[in-house]
Amino acid sequence: MTEAFDDDFNLSELDDQELVTQMHDDLYDGLKDEIVEGTEILLDRGWGAEKVLNEALVGGMQIVGVDFRDGILFVPEVLLAANAMKGGMGVLKPLLAETGVKPIGKMVIGTVKGDIHDIGKNLVGMMMEGAGFEVIDIGINNSVDEYLAALEEHQPDILGLSALLTTTMPYMKVVIDELVKRNLRSQYIVMVGGAPLNEEFGAAVGADAYCRDAAEAAAQATRLIEARRSANA
Amino acid sequence: MDKPGRRRSGGRSSRVAARQASAADALVTHIDRGIPYFDVLNEEALALIEHNAETVLEEIGIDFKDAPDALALWRNAGAVIEGERVRPPRGLCRELLKTAPKEFTQHARNPARSTIIGGDRTVLAPAYGSPFVRDLDRGRRYATIEDFRNFVKLTYINQGLHHSGGTVCEPVDLPVNKRHFDMVYSHIKYSDKPFMGSVTHPERAQDTVDMAKIVFGDAFVQDHCVTTSLINVNSPMTFDATMLGSARVYAENNQATIISPFILAGAMSPVTVAGTLTQILAEALAGMAYTQLVRPGAPVIFGTFASAISMQSGAPTFGTPEPSLVLLGAASLARRLGIPFRSGGGLCASKVADAQAAYESANTLQAAAFAGVNFMLHTAGWLEGGLVMSYEKFVMDADQANMIAVFLKGIDLSENGQAMDALREIGPGAHFLGATHTQNNFEKAFYRSTMADNNSFEQWQEDGALDAEKRANMRWKAQLNDYEAPPLDVAIDEALLEFMARRKSASADQDY
Ligand code: B1M
Repeated sequence: MTEAFDDDFNLSELDDQELVTQMHDDLYDGLKDEIVEGTEILLDRGWGAEKVLNEALVGGMQIVGVDFRDGILFVPEVLLAANAMKGGMGVLKPLLAETGVKPIGKMVIGTVKGDIHDIGKNLVGMMMEGAGFEVIDIGINNSVDEYLAALEEHQPDILGLSALLTTTMPYMKVVIDELVKRNLRSQYIVMVGGAPLNEEFGAAVGADAYCRDAAEAAAQATRLIEARRSANA
Repeated sequence: MDKPGRRRSGGRSSRVAARQASAADALVTHIDRGIPYFDVLNEEALALIEHNAETVLEEIGIDFKDAPDALALWRNAGAVIEGERVRPPRGLCRELLKTAPKEFTQHARNPARSTIIGGDRTVLAPAYGSPFVRDLDRGRRYATIEDFRNFVKLTYINQGLHHSGGTVCEPVDLPVNKRHFDMVYSHIKYSDKPFMGSVTHPERAQDTVDMAKIVFGDAFVQDHCVTTSLINVNSPMTFDATMLGSARVYAENNQATIISPFILAGAMSPVTVAGTLTQILAEALAGMAYTQLVRPGAPVIFGTFASAISMQSGAPTFGTPEPSLVLLGAASLARRLGIPFRSGGGLCASKVADAQAAYESANTLQAAAFAGVNFMLHTAGWLEGGLVMSYEKFVMDADQANMIAVFLKGIDLSENGQAMDALREIGPGAHFLGATHTQNNFEKAFYRSTMADNNSFEQWQEDGALDAEKRANMRWKAQLNDYEAPPLDVAIDEALLEFMARRKSASADQDY
């Protein structure tokens, strides 16, 4: 347990700058209720949803990401932080949609057919949520049809495929080939990952990115989305 | 006793030959344990964990996914079924396990290599499952069937490994739905030690059984165990259809399965040793009892793969104290249950065969030796959390395997072992090198490592200043070079090839 700090204060008494700094700390500490409250306060003070998102939430999670990478924050803590982020996103999402601001991005992720290894996938989902993405986790053991149905239903920006077995990772190609066949490939960014994969394999199956770990997945996803949006702009 | 040094022994040539053959070259099928078990839990503690495990079974239950046939068996046996959740009432699994053998023989195609799994014995097998291989010359790369054959050959040559293992590495160059044929065939063709079967699809398990029938005969296979296969639990508390289907095929055919709760503690079980042990026992009880529901008397092994995750990244860690305590505790639980136990191995997270690899592996190997593991998978070659099979580490670990065998035999208390004659002969102040007792015993008195360099600095430098990895590189190459295949009956070989050709042509190559 970390030492208890004096936390007996009212968020609404802080000025904007203090509140944003406090929200960074609250994200770090994984305090979902406080993040929801802080988000609402900033909105009440007339902040735009996009500004709240970028300055208070994404800014805070960037700190979390750095300290996770550097081994200061542990997985269970990042999980709480990501969950707090999700709480704030829940408030912002409808507003972002109303104002026509593009959300950070949406990802459908699942392990491929025959593969039940999901610890890595879960961590990727966690880091993606932490980075502000909406993550639709379709679980383990997904067939081409299940992926296609999820893409159809959720219209994500990114399709994430995870596999830990050499007997299942070739199935990634089966999924990607099917997207090509149906002329759907260019609609999605396809990211692949899992311990037995490597860069060449990712390229060979026709993915847009191979990611060695969860933090890298979130970073790549952000980069790829930006690149795509600026290309389409 | 012969007077040493007064006999003609063939002079230089025969001595050289004898010395180059390691003490470990004799054919052995297992280690007989001569030392006590190391228990980390007392009676009260074991009873507590057993009680908690039964509570897990009865109250929380275990999921048997996509396996209506398994659910039906459980329902008939008296378990409470809700959806796919099976809740065996307190004591039911133990009752069912009364039909499971305490120990069993796994037959090899060379009867001299048949081994016994269980009791006060330890059987050592190479590492399993890695998609990559590594060696000093070519670095890290995807494994091929050529690598697979090489590791079967290396295992065959290293007598301290009693069992040929299973997926010694994954032949990624072959189609997914057909590579099991070549794997099973390689074990049969390039070795005559007992081997493991395919589990990645029930059909592949059946193919393994069918190939074994060609080698051993139909009837023999039905009443004798000729394969042992690895069934991992999808912890926490879940069995998936692939594993259940394969377990069923093997049990139906009276073949052994290793039901292995496979735990990365923290992610797949609680973070504490006691909580993890409780979960392991509950999962193993349910899985093993299932094999007895399929076929009472089918040989089954209580498995435990113990690791923890790095809370900083989620990556599996090895050779740390807590999983060793889990291993030792699970061994005691299995012994009380009277079922053979699998665990251990030269587990490590290191990327190369360096100091990290050596420390981590030694920690697990020794915990497993103290614990009394009956079947030790992953004894040799394991790197990078099981992602890599290393040629160099393989021969380093094989040396460790031979040491374990000597250690476990315990202390020789025969008259010769007591060495009173040597103590009398030499007395105070002299040295023992010339003593009659020493002359009679020196050759086998101390384990001679095949890997360690104990020479002077200068000699080591003159010999090329080779570190362990470089020496290991020379050793595995020499071993492969000297390899000679054990004879295989031509008719059996042809029948196997014919079977494989027929089965392979029955379906298109598939990538899943
Ligand atoms: C979309 O974008 C992205 C981006 C990044 C992505 C991504 C997607 N997905 C992952 N990433 C990346 O980010 C993550 C976080 O940093 C990382 O994810 P990882 O998953 O790599 O890392 C995790 C945080 C921790 N790592 C893990 O969770 C995997 C660890 C190892 C030890 C492992 C585990 C734990 C398990 N296993 Co299995 N298992 C092994 C693994 C060996 C290893 N060292 O990797 C491996 C993969 N398994 C293997 C095997 C053989 C099997 N396993 C099996 C079962 C299991 C368990 C159920 C027991 C368990 C999984 C539990 C679970 N709920 O996930 C069986 C198959 C089950 C099935 N149908 O899938 C079975 C066949 C074993 C058997 N005989 O029963 C081997 C592979 C063999 C092969 N041919 O490829 C193996 C290398 C171990 C070995 N040596 O045997 C990155 O890869």
